[in-house]
Amino acid sequence: MRKNFARLASLALALIFVLAACGGQPTAAPATEAPVVTEAPAATEAPVATEAPVQEPFVFGLLLVGPYNDNGWSQAHYEAGLYLEEKLGAKMVYLDKVNPADRPGTTPDQLAEELVAQGAKLVIFNSDDMKDASTTFAKANPDVFVIMASGDQVWSDGKAFEEIPNLTNIMGRMEYGKMMAGCAAALTSETGKIGYLGPLINDETRRLAASAYLGAKHCWENAGNDPAALQFKVTWIGFWFHIPGFTTDPVDVSKDFYTTGYDVVISGIDNPVNLGEAQKLTAEGTTSFGVAYDYVAACDAAPEVCIGVPYFNWGPEYLKAVSSAIEGTWESQFIWVGPDWTDLNNPDTSSIGFVNGPALSAEAAAAVDAFVAELAGGLNLWTGPINLQDGSVYLADGEVATDQQVWYLPQLLEGMEGLSAAE
Amino acid sequence: MNVELKNIHKHFGKVHANKGINLNIPSGTIQGILGENGAGKSTLMKILSGFIQADLGSEIILDGKPVIIDSPADAIHHGVGMLHQDPLDFPPMRILDNFLLGHSGGLFPNRTTVARDFKLLAEQFDFSLDPDSYVDALTVGERQQLEIIRLLWLGARILILDEPTTGISASQKSKLFATLTKLAGQGMTIIFVSHKLEDVEHLCNQVAVLRAGELVGETKPPYITSKLVEMMFGKVITLGERQATQAGEVVLSLKNISLEDVRLKIKNVGLEIRAGEVIGLAGMEGSGQGMFIRACAGLTRPVGGRIRLNGRDLTGKSYHTFKRAGVNFLPAARLEEGLVPGLNLTDHFILAEEPKGVFIDRAAGQKLAEERIQSFNIRGTPLSTVESLSGGNQQRAELALLQSPLSLVLLEHPTRGLDIESVIYIWSKLKERCRQGASIIFISSDLEEILQYSDRLLVFFSGKVSQPIDAGATSVEELGQLIGGKGWADMGDEHA
Amino acid sequence: MLKGRFGGFFFQLIALLLAFGVVSLILISVDASPADAYKNMFTGSFGSLRKFAEVLVAFVPLLLVTAGLLVTFSSGLWNIGVEGQVVLGAITTTWVFRYFLESDLPPALIIILAILGGMVGGAIWASFTGLLKVFGGVNEIFGGLGLNFVSTALTIYLIFGPWKRPGVASMSGTVPFPDEFSLPLLADLRISPWALGIALAGIVLVYFILQGTYFGLRLKAVGKNFRAAYLLGIPTWQYSMYSFLICGALAGAAGAVQVAAVYHRLIPSISSGYGYLGLMVAMLINYQAIWAVPVALFFAALNIGSIQLPILMKLDSSLSGVLQGILVLFVLLAEGVRQRFAKKA
Repeated sequence: MRKNFARLASLALALIFVLAACGGQPTAAPATEAPVVTEAPAATEAPVATEAPVQEPFVFGLLLVGPYNDNGWSQAHYEAGLYLEEKLGAKMVYLDKVNPADRPGTTPDQLAEELVAQGAKLVIFNSDDMKDASTTFAKANPDVFVIMASGDQVWSDGKAFEEIPNLTNIMGRMEYGKMMAGCAAALTSETGKIGYLGPLINDETRRLAASAYLGAKHCWENAGNDPAALQFKVTWIGFWFHIPGFTTDPVDVSKDFYTTGYDVVISGIDNPVNLGEAQKLTAEGTTSFGVAYDYVAACDAAPEVCIGVPYFNWGPEYLKAVSSAIEGTWESQFIWVGPDWTDLNNPDTSSIGFVNGPALSAEAAAAVDAFVAELAGGLNLWTGPINLQDGSVYLADGEVATDQQVWYLPQLLEGMEGLSAAE
Repeated sequence: MNVELKNIHKHFGKVHANKGINLNIPSGTIQGILGENGAGKSTLMKILSGFIQADLGSEIILDGKPVIIDSPADAIHHGVGMLHQDPLDFPPMRILDNFLLGHSGGLFPNRTTVARDFKLLAEQFDFSLDPDSYVDALTVGERQQLEIIRLLWLGARILILDEPTTGISASQKSKLFATLTKLAGQGMTIIFVSHKLEDVEHLCNQVAVLRAGELVGETKPPYITSKLVEMMFGKVITLGERQATQAGEVVLSLKNISLEDVRLKIKNVGLEIRAGEVIGLAGMEGSGQGMFIRACAGLTRPVGGRIRLNGRDLTGKSYHTFKRAGVNFLPAARLEEGLVPGLNLTDHFILAEEPKGVFIDRAAGQKLAEERIQSFNIRGTPLSTVESLSGGNQQRAELALLQSPLSLVLLEHPTRGLDIESVIYIWSKLKERCRQGASIIFISSDLEEILQYSDRLLVFFSGKVSQPIDAGATSVEELGQLIGGKGWADMGDEHA
Repeated sequence: MLKGRFGGFFFQLIALLLAFGVVSLILISVDASPADAYKNMFTGSFGSLRKFAEVLVAFVPLLLVTAGLLVTFSSGLWNIGVEGQVVLGAITTTWVFRYFLESDLPPALIIILAILGGMVGGAIWASFTGLLKVFGGVNEIFGGLGLNFVSTALTIYLIFGPWKRPGVASMSGTVPFPDEFSLPLLADLRISPWALGIALAGIVLVYFILQGTYFGLRLKAVGKNFRAAYLLGIPTWQYSMYSFLICGALAGAAGAVQVAAVYHRLIPSISSGYGYLGLMVAMLINYQAIWAVPVALFFAALNIGSIQLPILMKLDSSLSGVLQGILVLFVLLAEGVRQRFAKKA
């Protein structure tokens, strides 16, 4: 009996560790930001009863796939939410780590309803991973506005077009940002070997990796290097960020790159873990550089090895969409918008941007700036001849890719190493 | 070192295991402790070596100083080391690591020094132990040697050996005795616990005999075996007249059965048991009778020979086949093997019956339980869990679970720990079975019981099995000698 | 008897209060109000019909897993592998759905086949643990844990390999199944009454097996004393296998419901940890089927209610897991104390 009991107790302890490992310790978020809406519901009423009186601010919800402070994709959205609060006097309710590993047993549409219960009249789904759920949610809640970032459901020229009046897709033309990233990488690399830390494989990630390659190739060859000496390799981890037990560890992937001669690694995942590894290896004597992704201040993680960051600035387009919802001029749209070429890094006008990192040499920086100017001037690297990875023709000589061709890029390009689709 | 035990008492719940034992062992003595199973030998030794604590008022005096020993580590600190019946070891370790166990000399012992000490000690006693080989490769005798030098190295001045000659070879035994004699010559005090009369007589300078928790006598050489036996097993008390049963057809037939486990080998036993016959198995615990009875139940597979039940060859079949053929086995450990703690009497009776359909008819089960409780005189209710019953009532419950009809009942210690009233009741129930044509084989350490209730009996000693002995033609004395390993040569024709 | 039962209740009440006390201290240490946290968790799980429906969505697989574990615990087995059995149930269900994707069979039939398939899949997976134990001498805890890892690896392989979305290699899961492959949901809610029915049927079945049948009594005898059960004539290892199969089937049903009524596809963490959570529920109720429903509901409510914590209070929702774990520990501790108490008295 006693032995059984001891067995029981030790097992329970082990289980608790398992559960704790799934969720981490309960922690309070930094109290500085995060407009908390605790005061809203009156104690005796159900939360639904907080339907705002007229003078109450507009409440919008935000579902983040990763942590709100991931120094990448989710943080860029979170900052855009703060931007909306500031510009509109609106109120944000958000939930981060919305993915099946962090929130087992839940679905994004269910969690979106939680935000609606807190008064949200518009909900932003911030990940491709939530695309199906956003459709489900939008259809089930026709009176709630939905923004699905990075999706294509309501693109009338898209492959999976559906008419969902209360849903809008918004995405920045990160292709330009990635080209700049690729350019900076090519101009920095001593070995001519560039690694690309890929998340999962889909249309978006293929075209962004390909854009980085096109930018790298362009600047590599413009600088007078041997075209054949450029190597560009993509390694996919399986998700937008590391989920232990489920994805490949991006730290290991970065390390493999750096230790096998790939002296620049471009992050394509939601957070710049490649920078940390570059910093460590540089300190150990292996000169390594990294390009961050998604978030304007991502280079701060390791400025001495960061040569730049292409980033999303969701604020301007979200502002337009949310304003239209408030004003009653909402329209279901597919928005795929490029940078403000007159002012690449203007937080109020440019939806994507690129910041040179502290580790980028002055000479390279000048060349990158020149490349940006070329792009602003109309240079389109998605111009033939370009072959797909399997050698088939993607764009004939002089042919310029259509939006559909770019968005739905079926394979990586010829000259890139790495998987185009799952094995 | 002088050892003085004064007024040692030990209670386990209601059981009074040591009843005021006084014993004086001068330095340099090899003290024998004799007694049958349950006489209180092990309790006394465990008290001296710190595994258990004696009741208040008991005194242990070493070299004139009263000491309190509250753990084995404490015991070794006082110079008391105990060698167990199963030498405590940690099989996957190297010998040297095992040797280091229990050493309090800091976190990082100096292995070189230790290895040198080990070698010196081993050489001194002519033990050939390789410090780098693994413990699990050692024989029982070698483990014992390792344990002896480990205890000596830890500073033992008093060495307690519990049944040390079980499971070791003859040459290891003579080496052990030589070692012990040598140690005694160096002033060590040796306490030698055994049930083997021959060993004790051969080795010990003085012998104390325990029975039922009491010290019943002390003697010095020359020993008179019959006197030792009488001290061990007590005066003859009768349980009434023996009843001979009419034997019928052959129920169980064993031909050249050979059995083996890690300690013992039993070879070529042949036996025929007739309906209504009762066979008693006598011997010190672990002499082979347990293995034998389990083989009769199909629980232990013989390595050779055939077992037939009512003419049907059941060799190598499982207990469940034996059971379907009419064999029931009641183990000694009632709550460990015989009954299911946590389930009540009704549950047990339902389990013992053949299922009727899928769902249990609780009312019928309850009725059955009430009937059995009454007819077997069990003090309990149908809803009493078995662990809440007293030992005697547990035993009655086990008997009440026997299926009907039965060919063969196998019992281990059917009346151990029971009051006389229960003993008589249980045997009356068993004899009832015999009249219905069942045969019985039982193990008991109570020679009286064996002589009283069996028709024939087998004596076991270290795997040797005697020819069937007519219970009416022998005596407690003769049996006691055989159990102690004496007089086997006279028998001439024992098995194997 | 009555006194003992009442005493047990008293100790468990103390354990419950202690668990809440410890969690409150944790909350206070991060400057959060325990009262607000508990209130938010309560309204987040029982505050509205919709929320209660979400609780039921979590309750269904949890109850199924608990029901299965009651069977293995009764036969003295620690079926840690239940998590993997849920996963295999989900995988098999997905496989059946995929197999009939183009078929003309009525969807209702396909759904039934898929759920039965899930139960078979879970049972087969559980039988591996059983076979390893019975014939390989591998303790079921280690065998089960190993198979849990294998089941995760298998899921990932399928999602990235043979069952991947066209042109995609992502953790997001397989292509969602068409709506007609969904167990019918209650209008406007996410709970399927059919799923709820399956779960309740599962626990009722287990209750009757354990309380009223020869099979259940023999299972209990095997669990409480393997040796004695064998000597009483029960084919012990067969009963161990039966209990693995039953538990696996119920866990497989949980996985099937996750696919057919919740996610409508295979995702990497399809089991959502309900296997491990079910182990905690089973331990908490001391293996008595009668308590499975309220306690599983309570745990499901904690899981769902805790979603409010990050939204409203910026607290991590793993607090519910901490509360559940501490609760189980204290209840076990209280049981130990009670036993000691009872012995002395």
